[in-house]
Amino acid sequence: MEKTWLVAVLVVIIIGIVAGCLTLVYILPLDLRERSPLQPIDFSHKQHAGTNAIPCLFCHRSVTRSPLAGIPAVSECRACHQFIDPDAPEIKKLMGYWDRREPIPWVRVHALPNFVYFPHMMHIRAKLACSTCHGEVASMERVTRTASLKMGWCLECHRQHKASIDCWACHI
Amino acid sequence: MKRRTFLQLSGMTAAGALLAGCQSKNEKLIPFLITPDEGVTPGLATWYVSACRFCPAGCGILVRVSEGRAKKVEGNPLHPVNRGKLCARGQAILQELYHPDRVAQPLKRTGARGSGEFQRISWTEGLALLTGQLTALQQKKATDRLAMVTPQLRGTLAELTTDFMAAFGSPYHLSFDLLAPDWLRRANRLNFGKASLPFYDLAETRYLLSFGADFVEHHLSPVQYGNAFGRMRQGRDTVRGHFTYCGGRMSLTAASADRWLPARPGSEGAVALGMARLMLAEGLFDKEALAPSGMRPEQLLKRLATYDLPRVAELSGLSEGQIAEVAREFASTRPALAMAGEAVAFQTNGPEAVRAVQMLNLLAGNLNRPGGIYPDAGSPDGPENSFGELISLVERMKAGRIGVALVHGDPVHDVPQAIGFQKAMASVPFVVSFSSLMDDTAQQADLILPDHAALESWGDMIPLAGTREGVIGLMQPVVTPLFDTRQFADVLLALAHELGGAVAAALPRQNSLEMVKAALQKRLGAGTGDFEARWVELLQHGGLFKTTANRGKGQATGYRQIPGESLPEPAPPGFAGDKQLFPLHLQVYPSLALYDGRGAPLPWLQQLPDPMTSVVWDSWIEINPQTAATLGISHGDLVEVASPQGALRLPAVIYPAIRPDLVAIPLGQGHRAMGRYAAGRGINPLSLLAANIEGKVPQPAWNATRVRLTRISASGELVTAGSFQGSFRSELIEM
Repeated sequence: MEKTWLVAVLVVIIIGIVAGCLTLVYILPLDLRERSPLQPIDFSHKQHAGTNAIPCLFCHRSVTRSPLAGIPAVSECRACHQFIDPDAPEIKKLMGYWDRREPIPWVRVHALPNFVYFPHMMHIRAKLACSTCHGEVASMERVTRTASLKMGWCLECHRQHKASIDCWACHI
Repeated sequence: MKRRTFLQLSGMTAAGALLAGCQSKNEKLIPFLITPDEGVTPGLATWYVSACRFCPAGCGILVRVSEGRAKKVEGNPLHPVNRGKLCARGQAILQELYHPDRVAQPLKRTGARGSGEFQRISWTEGLALLTGQLTALQQKKATDRLAMVTPQLRGTLAELTTDFMAAFGSPYHLSFDLLAPDWLRRANRLNFGKASLPFYDLAETRYLLSFGADFVEHHLSPVQYGNAFGRMRQGRDTVRGHFTYCGGRMSLTAASADRWLPARPGSEGAVALGMARLMLAEGLFDKEALAPSGMRPEQLLKRLATYDLPRVAELSGLSEGQIAEVAREFASTRPALAMAGEAVAFQTNGPEAVRAVQMLNLLAGNLNRPGGIYPDAGSPDGPENSFGELISLVERMKAGRIGVALVHGDPVHDVPQAIGFQKAMASVPFVVSFSSLMDDTAQQADLILPDHAALESWGDMIPLAGTREGVIGLMQPVVTPLFDTRQFADVLLALAHELGGAVAAALPRQNSLEMVKAALQKRLGAGTGDFEARWVELLQHGGLFKTTANRGKGQATGYRQIPGESLPEPAPPGFAGDKQLFPLHLQVYPSLALYDGRGAPLPWLQQLPDPMTSVVWDSWIEINPQTAATLGISHGDLVEVASPQGALRLPAVIYPAIRPDLVAIPLGQGHRAMGRYAAGRGINPLSLLAANIEGKVPQPAWNATRVRLTRISASGELVTAGSFQGSFRSELIEM
């Protein structure tokens, strides 16, 4: 009899622990995504945007018109690097992609869940600087995410700028 | 291993697994390889206007294209046929474009016919192969050994195919669709002097009487009529139009009716004439409308004397009271409209029964009036007896007098087996298919020259029976072709060019775009100013929406009643199969999702629950609960359906809204091929149908076969997306 009770209590405790763990995983602001993932090519924003002072919009050119900022096509990288430093090992990697007719599989650093609608163009039109969300990219060798990109973080800024905090503003 | 170590290790593994599960990977961000065209902005969609060619209705569509990929299809609000609405079939044409089993380039048969062994070849080789065959026919002075089989085409494509066959010197161009409204053209010619299809002004009518016309599902122009039906019911402040449906099976359309008259199959014509007689006898007809035809009501009444109420009630299995009540309501409401549909037309007495229904329109004084019936000025006259042409082509093929057959569409699946087209095609030495999917016909072909998907094609689309005005919808490619395919029209033009001589001279155009542009320029006529600017405007709107230019001869004047020398006389219906051996009537009807079978390869349509039975991904047979009870069949059982022509097994659906002496199977499934989603799924009821009914000449009587049911087992493996709503009992059903 006692043994049965013992087993029952044990089972209840185990279920409780598992449920508790799951709840914790759900509640805690765990940020498990890599903040600064390795990229297929060691592309340096510091070199391009910092030292050479190329404006962001030179490459991310649809940012003023489209929800997506856009990243340059492989052909565009190649267009410059045919002439600029073509013998560097990383540029050779780039040319390898071009020769194999493969797009470069960049790893996304700033990702939002797909139930959020984030239009870049509206934020640019509101005169927000790129660095507000993306950090000082011009000084990063490898792009690192500096913001949490959580809803609370979005709302904070929306409140500050008196932008809409209606649910339907982002969750459409 | 010590117990403690084991526990430690397993604990660590579990924790590791849990953490790894939570760690979400960063997604990839894939750039373009080459900078796309000016018009493409990542993240911003472009909407292109085009036209749907899935069914003959020819609705206008808008296609959302992002980063050069078509993503969504919607209705074009400017198009007069569908006014921004679109049916499920139209939405699903995206999946035709992206179908994983599309024929990506020309194929040449290597194995035995039907083995599905093909070799990939280039277009140059494919065209050379076909040109070689055609030149051989020309050299043997046997150009009439070329046959072409297409669906019923309209617009420039119809002109092109006709010109090609004429220039080549062969009269054997068959335009056949299983559900083609040939019967309606014939009835209208005999009754109203014009073979054009009607445009029913549903929205403005006050009393609608449909004899088997399922206009919200597939009849003629379903999106247009579905919309008009809504306006008839709710579009006017003071009037809610009344709707009575007469037919043995309750379709989705019938389910929307106020009253359902489940008449015995084949008796609908008699019911219509019974109502006509009652209107004449009680003086409830439109006297002014009848006068110009020279028909005297007394004479008419005399000739319809045999259609008295008791006899009609006996023929139809309806009560005298029901018929009389509907007839009086129909006669005393103005405007009132009568429609005839496929369920009636595909009986042995179908053509005459349709005429009988149209006579109700005549007596109600409906011709060319609001809420009545107008000739469809848009689509030119079409064939009235393509079935007869099919029979004679089959005979010719069997006799070995056809050397090369060019086949567009899927007649191997869409023609009832009893007609013998499949066997006849096997005796044609060289068969070319233009299917973009590996369908049942392509499987049997020697050469496949794959057509573009609809969203990759240029074309003009003249809607069928959907408007009073002439409309030319324009199809434009919304994406770059995904594969090495070519448009059917372009292939014919290239072929003509290769053949040279008279054929090339008759078809001077370079490609289908040029052809469509030239046709539109001709229709707009001279003096319209800058055509290029106008063309761009037309492409932006989706076509030319108000034109009288493509009316046939004398079509502008509307219908008139022709002197009533030949009154409709529907004979008693004939049925194939002995009444004792095969006690039940079989009705085959186009599936809401799959139509005649062309929707079967598209998974969206396969998983669309049938609105009446909620079955998905399968065929089924609808059986009245009474009949099912006597045969010991319950919902979901596997049953065998046997007709004089063959037997098939499929799951049963207990369907209270069907006559006890009638069973019904939807069309569309039972493909041998046609891609992974359609192949081997369900059954094709067309193989049950008999061709020669009661020893008469073959006729398109798809609903005139009797069947017998046998329960096989309890495992029909019926998949439904839900259960029946509401009660099986309804006071509307008096049987």
